[in-house]
Amino acid sequence: MGSTIAEKVISRAVARKVHAGELIDALPVDKLYFNEVIGPPAILNFQKDFGDVFQDAGKRMKVFDPMRVAFMPDHTVPSCSIMVSSGIKLMANFAKDQGITMYKEGDGIEHTIASEEGFVLPGEIAVATDSHTCTQGALGSLAFGIGTTEAENLLATGELYSFTVPETINFQVDGKLQHGVYPKDLVLHVLGLMGEGGCSKRIAEYSGSTFDSMEMDGRFTVCNLSVEMSARTAIINPDATTMSYVENALQGRGASLTSEQSNMIAKSDPDATYSQTVRVDASEVEPTVSLPHSPANAKPVSEVSDPINVVFLGSCANARRSDLVVAAKILKGRKVHPDTNLIVIPASRKVYNWAMDNGILATIAASGANIESSNCGPCFGKHMGILAPGDRCLSTSNRNYKGRMGSPEAFIYLGSPATAAATAVEGRIADPRKYLVD
Amino acid sequence: MKLRGRVAKKYGDDINTDYIIPAYLLQESWDKQFFADHAFEYFDPSFKTACRANKESIVVAANNFGCGSSREQAVYAVKYNNVVAVVAQSFPDIFYRNCLNNGLLPIQVADTSRIEQGDELIIDLESRSLKDLTRGEDYVIIATDSAVDQMKKGGFLGYVRERLRERLAAPTS
Repeated sequence: MGSTIAEKVISRAVARKVHAGELIDALPVDKLYFNEVIGPPAILNFQKDFGDVFQDAGKRMKVFDPMRVAFMPDHTVPSCSIMVSSGIKLMANFAKDQGITMYKEGDGIEHTIASEEGFVLPGEIAVATDSHTCTQGALGSLAFGIGTTEAENLLATGELYSFTVPETINFQVDGKLQHGVYPKDLVLHVLGLMGEGGCSKRIAEYSGSTFDSMEMDGRFTVCNLSVEMSARTAIINPDATTMSYVENALQGRGASLTSEQSNMIAKSDPDATYSQTVRVDASEVEPTVSLPHSPANAKPVSEVSDPINVVFLGSCANARRSDLVVAAKILKGRKVHPDTNLIVIPASRKVYNWAMDNGILATIAASGANIESSNCGPCFGKHMGILAPGDRCLSTSNRNYKGRMGSPEAFIYLGSPATAAATAVEGRIADPRKYLVD
Repeated sequence: MKLRGRVAKKYGDDINTDYIIPAYLLQESWDKQFFADHAFEYFDPSFKTACRANKESIVVAANNFGCGSSREQAVYAVKYNNVVAVVAQSFPDIFYRNCLNNGLLPIQVADTSRIEQGDELIIDLESRSLKDLTRGEDYVIIATDSAVDQMKKGGFLGYVRERLRERLAAPTS
């Protein structure tokens, strides 16, 4: 009986062959990262709930393995309130005491830098205090979000308890995306097919010729949004594109893949068992937007032309290099519509600096955009572009719930970076294809 | 283990954690009660009053209750308004696990359409049954053995402390 990639990754971690449906008492986790939203309470709870256990054992309070933990303050940085600053300070002090790597405010969004820095690797189990941890599935790692209590438990023991191996849905996606159609459009289309609860409790595994030819930026986007159909997580079998990305990320900090790390890489067997197969013809997908107030409320952009007064290009869903490139291509020599505010937030400091060195930020700035340092921005609804009642926003992020980005009386649409740029120019939802004729 | 409570609120599909507790509040307190005080403040401002009217309230929903963000504050927001259980047709994994870890019972039954606001319910974990006393109807609780076990214990903390004790006692640590 064959295994899915997810079953293989879990089997490796527990050192026995397991299949979907099996209960694992204690699942060891390879990597753990915290943002500044859940990090502070998780640390406080860890100290409160386990301090006496260390004391009784006559040992210094220590996390299970500081090398496997990283802190990435990203949601509302540079800090926007005294409480946020206090939380970041608490994390920094704890990181210093424990020998945990703490990234700086502005280094980037956690899910972007976890892969970009080579912190999470193919075949690993990675968890973090955020539902979009599934983004790392693009590397062929099994990654998902956890709450505060599991985070404090993991700091203590590095284990997740009572974990059931999930079933997997095979999304078989074939065909070439049309010119002007991006992985973001594809995944919004998939959310439309499946609904908000359509992948509940199951892993979304993506394969097929569309993914074979897709660059890593797009794979991250597709995995990122899969949680919007309530997928346990998303995963893509690693290939040459993945490995070249990973080698490059490790080189960035003077490292390379060890043989132990290489041995962890897994791929689904041809005879693996799936709970369901969903076939998608990528060549039929049009530029797609999700209308208020659900990510699964997907419509072809050609059917929508609502006025838009705020455009946000950013978040862990997009705002990587290729996303800024296409936005700059559309904005070059054009101006943002007088009634529209365009906010651009590169997904990491590396993306920001690269885009600056290549003149991309200059092009975007010349169009009249506001460019902010790397963080989650208005997607979290706390700073840098909060929506007023009646505002209509086109965002490249992943959630358009009522009230997500500010007022519950605002309207949020989701779309690709190309659609965002075209929309910023026209001040209404616009098809980007007419700006991309070479 | 048996719990008796009154249905204080009934919702439909896909109630996400942003609706339960808006993101802008998450970093403003480390106190669980703070989130209860702001529960559903955009989506349903009457939630607090309705739940606090009973000593033991129950929230009922259709499919996919607690989808979206992993914020555990959503569980605090519900629980610390006198809510002992959420009865729904399905829950996404992260929210379900967050409930188990905090002693808020996530009770899955096949169909919640006939349960109404104001109904009195009895949840019996031993027999895995839910009884709607008001309507005289019975439902089967869908849960794995380990989930039921965790519901009875109110979380995992005792077990994790034991695991840590073993690890600290091992010669390699």
